[in-house]
Amino acid sequence: MIKSLIITHGDLGKELIKVCEKIFEKNIDIECICFNWEEDGTSAINKLENFIEKNKGNKIMIFTDMFGGSPSNICFEFVDKNIEVITGINLPGLLKFLTYREKNMDFKKLAKIVKKGAIEGVNIIGEYLGEKK
Amino acid sequence: MIEEKVEIINKLGLHARAAAKLSHLANTFDSDIFIVFNEDKVNAKSLLGILTLAASIGNYISIIADGKDETRAVKEIKKLFDKKFDEES
Repeated sequence: MIKSLIITHGDLGKELIKVCEKIFEKNIDIECICFNWEEDGTSAINKLENFIEKNKGNKIMIFTDMFGGSPSNICFEFVDKNIEVITGINLPGLLKFLTYREKNMDFKKLAKIVKKGAIEGVNIIGEYLGEKK
Repeated sequence: MIEEKVEIINKLGLHARAAAKLSHLANTFDSDIFIVFNEDKVNAKSLLGILTLAASIGNYISIIADGKDETRAVKEIKKLFDKKFDEES
């Protein structure tokens, strides 16, 4: 079973979850840690440690909003064979994850597929239309 | 292999929620299933693939299914389009 968590600046993660739940019309079972602008990160780190502790024995996929940001930086030390972090998550990437997580595929391969889906979701419409015309 | 042409009749076309329902339904079949719009052919089991078609109301798409349950797959998917993805009464 893959457990997942989104860590973002502000309420971005909560909103991403809400949108996914609207699209899939069901609870998507992803938890969220919203980084409070006023805090030094201690609270977020504690929540992250609790999440990892409570889901020990499962694979854990963590999504963060931006490589180099605090939500990503606090995750680095936890990455191992059972825990992976994908930074810069967006709606296409998350939808990819939700579509593929039930397929029983290799955990690290799933991370690569999600990364690819997120990147492919970024397009310049002018270029896209240019290719079509 | 079976192919059937369908008109998109729901207001919002193949948008995110409709694409999610379509890919979810397509994944319940063993057959390979594709949606073709203009010159683009995408895997009907891929939500993001369907979204790249940007197909809207009034457009015609083709459903192509190939496999042991192809007849049922095309029938059920066509039904989903015909009932406007349960979005409108």
